[in-house]
Amino acid sequence: MTPGVQPISSREQAMPDCTAALGRLEEVVSTAEEFDRVVSQALPILLDRAASRTKRFLRETGQWSDDVAHEKFVLRWGAEYLEQFFVYGRSEVPCRPLFLLDSVVAKHHSRPEPFYYHPDLLKPLGRLIDGLVGRASISRDALIALYHHCYGLGPGQVITVLRLNGSESPRIYKNFQRWRDSGWNRTIENMGITEDELQRLNAQQQQHRHRFNSDAEQMLRFAQAHYRKSEPDHYPCLSRHQWEDMFRQGYGIEYRIWHLALCLDCLHTAWDLGLDGASAMDKPHVVLQLQP
Amino acid sequence: MEAEQDCAEYRERLLKGMRAGIRRSVCGAADLIHVFVNHRRIGVLDGTGVETTLQAQTDVRIDIVQLRSEDGVLLGGLLAPVYGFRTSRISLMRDTIELRVQNYAQGGSVRAVYIPAPSFWHRARRGLVGVADSAAPRPVTFAGSGVRTIAFTQVLLAVALVWLVADRITGWMTPVRPPLPATQAEVHWAAPLGEVTKLEQQLVELSRMQAKAVETIQMQQQGMAQLQRAMAKLPSTQETVASSVLIVKQEIEQRWKGAGGDTDRMTRGIMSKAQSEQEQLEAEIHSLTVANDRLSKEMTDLERYNQNLKKRLQSAGVDVSKATGSDREKPMVAWQNEAIQPPHTPKVAEARPISQQPHFLF
Repeated sequence: MTPGVQPISSREQAMPDCTAALGRLEEVVSTAEEFDRVVSQALPILLDRAASRTKRFLRETGQWSDDVAHEKFVLRWGAEYLEQFFVYGRSEVPCRPLFLLDSVVAKHHSRPEPFYYHPDLLKPLGRLIDGLVGRASISRDALIALYHHCYGLGPGQVITVLRLNGSESPRIYKNFQRWRDSGWNRTIENMGITEDELQRLNAQQQQHRHRFNSDAEQMLRFAQAHYRKSEPDHYPCLSRHQWEDMFRQGYGIEYRIWHLALCLDCLHTAWDLGLDGASAMDKPHVVLQLQP
Repeated sequence: MEAEQDCAEYRERLLKGMRAGIRRSVCGAADLIHVFVNHRRIGVLDGTGVETTLQAQTDVRIDIVQLRSEDGVLLGGLLAPVYGFRTSRISLMRDTIELRVQNYAQGGSVRAVYIPAPSFWHRARRGLVGVADSAAPRPVTFAGSGVRTIAFTQVLLAVALVWLVADRITGWMTPVRPPLPATQAEVHWAAPLGEVTKLEQQLVELSRMQAKAVETIQMQQQGMAQLQRAMAKLPSTQETVASSVLIVKQEIEQRWKGAGGDTDRMTRGIMSKAQSEQEQLEAEIHSLTVANDRLSKEMTDLERYNQNLKKRLQSAGVDVSKATGSDREKPMVAWQNEAIQPPHTPKVAEARPISQQPHFLF
């Protein structure tokens, strides 16, 4: 039987179950344990609810289109909201879980930019770039891995380009290792990118390398500009003189790591300074790496 | 249909990830925990076994506080109230993080305290103290119960001393009686004196034991302190070893790459040498082919020349036979030469200098 398609008998049985579960979600839960129990039993219903709310938001803002890419997009964001709801809800008891979820989703959608929507970012290449850069805004492993996926830099080269000291170096290697072990697969799964899509992207890159990387750079700049806002202290771009001062004085290590991963222009400025071994390497330019 | 199936599979994967919750994180206890306020990262909590605190103030009202691991998994969080404060205690496997968020009329503040789980020795000691409390008279050698044993012994000693002193004073205050013949009462009075002496000896014994117990306890406390210090150092040592291993691994990789580079260089050298040799060979073959072509052409020309000569010879023979019917010997010679000529023709074609000489003399 095809996954996702249920026989009529089981559908009829599922309907009362679904109604009962919805009824439980509408009732008041008084303790965190009760909240966990009720919510974990109704995760599929809640995911569909969050996804349908997101779909409605896209429709009402004129951004919806009936295709798989949009369906996946709303599922992804539904899951994101649900994960947060699952964590926050425990501190909100007593509450009615279903309405709390609605309020959490509505709160997100009331923000100026609840998520980054761009039609190009719904294509496989765009989804990959959006997923990588978006993940980098919440995960240090993904952030460090951006240097590899966007510019093809290895851990040693990242340390050289960022002029990191000895204590930071092992952490960079750990970030790379963890990303290769589990982070990459998880991000690809979260993005809904299939193995076939990856292979197709790879083939495209082999056939039209220059055009492919040029498109990737354009989308990367979009995504970087959006997700860089997740770092308030690191958002502003610095002048060449300020970068030079920072490298020479040895401060702002966190700033360098976060900002340069999310800003191609500043990375070029920092590279142009030609400090230490950075000048010995080729100037970093966007060559998308499709494997960790 | 395929699209629906793709979406259904994607949905299942997302649900599976959510069910796994924070267990999805592969970060260890020693890794940093990132604190996000309103989806923006404000700092990290160092989870290396010591209590650490992170405090931050914002100009805008705080809506959401999130805790994420290095691999981005949401470990915990809190929705801030519109006004006032809210606290939450988030358990992460063994350790705990206390969050306190407060919103003012303008802006807000957040405070996150990382509380590591008590160490094994700490928990073991607490457990043993509990056991000792339930059985107080039993001599226990560990620190917490040792203190109680000392206190108990000291109280006992004090009571005994007070009793002894009171007894002595009572003895001194009592008027001295004339010696009387020994009576039953005197015998009874002598007996307690013996007991007192015995008690004194016991007390001395007891104080000696107490001194020994105190000494033992002090030694054990020192040992415990050393153990705790060693345990505290252990994670950092492990971290150092792990990082050293990583660095060594990287160096080995680099050396491998270097060795690979040398091999590549050698291979490239051999390949280029072989290629140049191949090119030379090809050039030689080409020149030979050209020469061969030239020779073939010359051979063809010579054959054609021979054919012409043959024709001319035939026509000349006919003319001669017509012209000089009496002289029969000369044509015979010519005919003999003609008969001999064909086997010589290839030699003429192959040998260029000979081809320039006249083959037949008429």
